[in-house]
Amino acid sequence: MKIGVPRGLYFYVYYPMWYGFFKSLGHDVVLSVPTNKDILNLGVSNAVDDICISVKVYHGHVKYLLDKRNVDYVFVPRVVSEDKYRYTCPKLAAMPDLIKSAFNKDSERILSVNMYMNQGKKPLLDAFGKIGEKLGASVKSVKKAVKEAMGYQEKAVKCLRKGHNFAEIVKNIRNLDKLFDEPVKERRYNVALAGFPYDIYDGYMNGDVIKHLEEANVRVVITDMLNPKLYKHYTKYMIKDLFWHQANVAAKGGMYYMDSKDIDGVITVSSFNCGIGAIYEKLLDLYSKETNKPLMHIVVDEQTGDAGLVTRIEAFIDLIRVKRGDGLVAS
Amino acid sequence: MVWLPRKVTYVFPRMGYSYAAFESFFQILGYDVITPEPSNSQTLKRGVSNSPEGMCFPFKILLGQFLKVLEENPDKYFKIVSLESYGPCRFGYYSPLYAKILKDRGFDNFEIVNVEGIYPPWYRGIPRFFKKLIKLIGWHTPWTGVKAFLIAGWKVYAIEQLERKLYYLIPREKIVGSAEKAFNRAFERIHHAPNKVKAIKEVLNEELKRMDSVKHVENVELPKVGLVGEAYMLMDYSNNLEIEKKLAYMGVDVDRSLWVTNWTLDRIIKTKEHLNHMLEVNKGYLDFFIGGDGQESIMNTILYKQKGFDGVIQVLPFGCLPETVAKQILSNVSEDYDIPVLSLSFDEQTGEAGFITRIEAFVDMIKDRKAAKVGKKKSTTVASQ
Repeated sequence: MKIGVPRGLYFYVYYPMWYGFFKSLGHDVVLSVPTNKDILNLGVSNAVDDICISVKVYHGHVKYLLDKRNVDYVFVPRVVSEDKYRYTCPKLAAMPDLIKSAFNKDSERILSVNMYMNQGKKPLLDAFGKIGEKLGASVKSVKKAVKEAMGYQEKAVKCLRKGHNFAEIVKNIRNLDKLFDEPVKERRYNVALAGFPYDIYDGYMNGDVIKHLEEANVRVVITDMLNPKLYKHYTKYMIKDLFWHQANVAAKGGMYYMDSKDIDGVITVSSFNCGIGAIYEKLLDLYSKETNKPLMHIVVDEQTGDAGLVTRIEAFIDLIRVKRGDGLVAS
Repeated sequence: MVWLPRKVTYVFPRMGYSYAAFESFFQILGYDVITPEPSNSQTLKRGVSNSPEGMCFPFKILLGQFLKVLEENPDKYFKIVSLESYGPCRFGYYSPLYAKILKDRGFDNFEIVNVEGIYPPWYRGIPRFFKKLIKLIGWHTPWTGVKAFLIAGWKVYAIEQLERKLYYLIPREKIVGSAEKAFNRAFERIHHAPNKVKAIKEVLNEELKRMDSVKHVENVELPKVGLVGEAYMLMDYSNNLEIEKKLAYMGVDVDRSLWVTNWTLDRIIKTKEHLNHMLEVNKGYLDFFIGGDGQESIMNTILYKQKGFDGVIQVLPFGCLPETVAKQILSNVSEDYDIPVLSLSFDEQTGEAGFITRIEAFVDMIKDRKAAKVGKKKSTTVASQ
């Protein structure tokens, strides 16, 4: 069977796991194409107008896969929590319901299940067991598949911790070991990106921030590369932990990068009307006053023009260069 | 130097008419209390310019109100009361942000006190709950605390009875404005009633009778509209541009789904029952807990249909996470159950004229639908009045 995986939201966190699971059961994984104008338009016309752009784009990816006749199921999981007592945003927690409401006719082709991540093997076995049942796999093969899936995810996390970003992981999903052995390129400047993985890695939406920075001899580090143990102590500054796991990663990771000496500046990437983005951006704003690190917010929406973003990124790079004493880019 | 407890003044978030009850709550405990003024252009401006752009509208409103109080009384020391929870809704992180933003603005004559539910892990949750409760009400004899809660509860109940009566009377009154006049008087009497249960009961009964004697017509079929949506926007008349009163004056029987009493009952006392009931009603539409009032909005829309209402208006602040989800799903509910639903999202730019036009059009449509069902072909318009 062919299982469609939309290239949006938690794809940018748990793709290796899902890939490993479906592959082990002998199904093909069909990815939607990277976000482009058509996908964005599909999403904008199908989702409710108040919702954040990332969710709209996700609608577009789902629609793209549903329109493909040879895709048997589209995998739309409900990622409930990503750590003990750390959950996801209400929009994401209601994702299958939103998708079913938007594409009422195709609701039978949508494969959804409640997933509890990073809390041991049992919840994953339960969740994947349900999918396996629907796909007609035996209990034994599901167990084996879950083991393999977790292996893939562990390898991906190892690569992330080493400094490879998730886009590379998606590209090299077939041989993650090789990617792990590859050295990470050192560059003159280091800039950290803080935000949700699905905003940072979606190059079409954010005007290719990563590419533009790398062209200017900047090494890009991203908050999901950090080990959560490194930034545990920032809870004290935040008074209490945020309810949403990814927001915690973005806020605390951003603060960690602001405190570390070899990082030249921090950029947050969030989507318009994200809601939760407003909170961690404000926290980082206040924290940057204490550390004096350059900080820039990029908020993307469906009207974002590429040129404006590029200008802002260039200005930010100039700022970093001046701070280091390298002078402006000769133009 | 002798250590003396600082004289504190309490500020609390103002919500609809319930402020009268909160005022007496703190007065019984023996504290000074300042009620923020209802939100207006001045408080909104302060709130919007100091809060993060994408933050929800209630946050901006409340921040503006607190800022105005703090600015006007630089010599007092404030305890800002903020309810709090730990859940998917952004409401759970209001008070840390208030503390950080107000500190950043240079205020230091305040502290934020909040009461939050017990959330896991329980061995930390329960001590934290009691610690915060004591911080809120201070050291008192248990009886004083119970009495404060009791009186506040009774006042909330009394005000709600009066409000319900008001929205019942407005579309039926013979002299326009007479019901509102009676209500205003009744509300002031409850507001300043002595802090005794017996006295509040007496005043309530007297005033309900007095409101009943307002000249009005009974036994008329009016179109019925239910209001669902986010609790704060729904309950605070100064932010939803008095949507209930406006609908009532358009000749509509209006019913609000969330009141302070049933909200408290459902959320704090009968939590489990309430959640199960919601999941049962919402089956197939929203099968998961998403916090806020999103699930309630969907549930109440379905319940309103079953009770024979003619239309539902969803009131939501712009960008509210759970309500936006509900908004998308409500379009399906509306189709499947054949009930018109209008979603009105409010933000700092909501103008009154455009707002009135939209609800007028909605009411017209409902009246036409109702007339068509009964068999009359006559169509009525409100807009011409």
